[in-house]
Amino acid sequence: MANDNLTVDDVRKLAADIGMTRLTEAHLQELLRATNAARARRATLHNDTLTYADEPAHVFSLNAGDMK
Amino acid sequence: MTAMSDLAWLTVADAADLLRTKKLSPVEYTKALIARAERHDKHYNAYLRATPDLAMEDARRAEAEILRGEWRGPFHGVPYGLKDIVDYAGLPTTAHSKILQDNVAKADAVVTQKLRAAGGVFMGKLSTHEFATGGPSFDLPWPPARNPWNRDHFCGGSSSGSGAATAAGFLPAAIGTDTGGSVRNPASMCGVIGMKPTYGLVSRRGVVPLSYSLDHVGTLTRTVRDNALMLDLIAGHDAQDPGSTNRATGGYTAALGRDIKDLRVGVLRHFYTRDMQADAEITAGIESTVQKLAELGAVVSEVSTAPLGEYLACNRTILTSEAFAVHEKWMRERPQDYGALARERLMGGAFIRAADYVNATRLRRKLTEAFHALFAEVDVIVTASSMDPACRIDDAKAVDYTYGRQSRAPFNVTGSPALSVPTGFTQSGLPLAMQLVGKPFSEALLYRVAYAYEQATPWVNMHPNLI
Repeated sequence: MANDNLTVDDVRKLAADIGMTRLTEAHLQELLRATNAARARRATLHNDTLTYADEPAHVFSLNAGDMK
Repeated sequence: MTAMSDLAWLTVADAADLLRTKKLSPVEYTKALIARAERHDKHYNAYLRATPDLAMEDARRAEAEILRGEWRGPFHGVPYGLKDIVDYAGLPTTAHSKILQDNVAKADAVVTQKLRAAGGVFMGKLSTHEFATGGPSFDLPWPPARNPWNRDHFCGGSSSGSGAATAAGFLPAAIGTDTGGSVRNPASMCGVIGMKPTYGLVSRRGVVPLSYSLDHVGTLTRTVRDNALMLDLIAGHDAQDPGSTNRATGGYTAALGRDIKDLRVGVLRHFYTRDMQADAEITAGIESTVQKLAELGAVVSEVSTAPLGEYLACNRTILTSEAFAVHEKWMRERPQDYGALARERLMGGAFIRAADYVNATRLRRKLTEAFHALFAEVDVIVTASSMDPACRIDDAKAVDYTYGRQSRAPFNVTGSPALSVPTGFTQSGLPLAMQLVGKPFSEALLYRVAYAYEQATPWVNMHPNLI
């Protein structure tokens, strides 16, 4: 990933983009740690084992009554 | 049977017998437990909001009904508590957070409805980690619960107060919730029984969500029988909970007392010996348990599944994504009103890519199918719960280190029933525990195995000395 090494300025911009504009510098440090941890976790998800036929664990379905 | 210490350790089953036969008054029972909590809980913080007036109202009503011969069942006149993310009409459901400190519930949660309809005595709202994720924290409007076996130690979470209050003898049964292990963690750390039932078995309506597809409502008690009785009461279909199963429920006490001869027990050892290295006392406790199950006639073998890390990554990716969807508005408007731990854990979902979330749910299906296939070879699986005994609650580094060292979250991913069972104590006197895991809807079998083990070991009769 090109943006694996995020900085606090990176997450400040990302946060602002989704309206999180009230974060203090301490909050932004928390966000930076949390985001980097989430990105590191991505590497341990073995997506390479998935084929296009592997569906999510939960899919939307309608009951017969909903079709009326 | 009137000494306060006797009443503190009364089981639901024994209390029910005494109450039904009018040998024990619900009013006297409730008064004794209120007095015990008033004397000791200032040191343990199990209650976020004790409600002694409501408890006495319930107790007086139960007494009048029982005296009229209108006994409703095993929870009639029996005290219970609710983790404070579970609604009780007219009381705040705070989720232990400033964000919701004025959030007064308009209606009972479904589990609350069932406990009230059964004539239970509501003792109060119990401490949790903030929004069932951020704790133990000292920067919230209420302090964190502490471990009754040693108040300097963590009591697990997020159903912290549920575990602490049950272990401390403040009440015999409590409701908790479990998204990545939050019933079983405090059960393990506090030396009580904690059940995370099959996904969908117990309604979540009226419970503050953490992660919709991983949230479970569960039960904490001091004995296996009591746990089965409580699950009997709260399980059942709820058409207004989209995750609820319409499968028949109940009968969880039916197999208690049956032997476990020839039952096939699989030990899922690589979770706590290879994928993570559990503390030596935890491992010794599990191995001793396995030996005891073999002595009781079980046929023991070893099973294996995907590495623990894959399950944990799947759980955390789904959990943090779904949780951030719940919290995004508050993160925009009131970030300062969260404690630091909850804020950091919840913000971890802010920038997870949609594809990563979807792929985690796809992996979830594969992990679940592969895990359930193990039950062609075995009936029950034994594995670790926590990898470490309870650390000091004021040691932030130790809390951070041990927080993720667990093998409970895999069974939120798979939706399997999983039961935390005490296996003894560390040399320093802190509880040890293991998990029993089964195929979906096999709660009665888990209780049967846990009961056989409980009856063959002394742990259920050991209680903490409170200060």
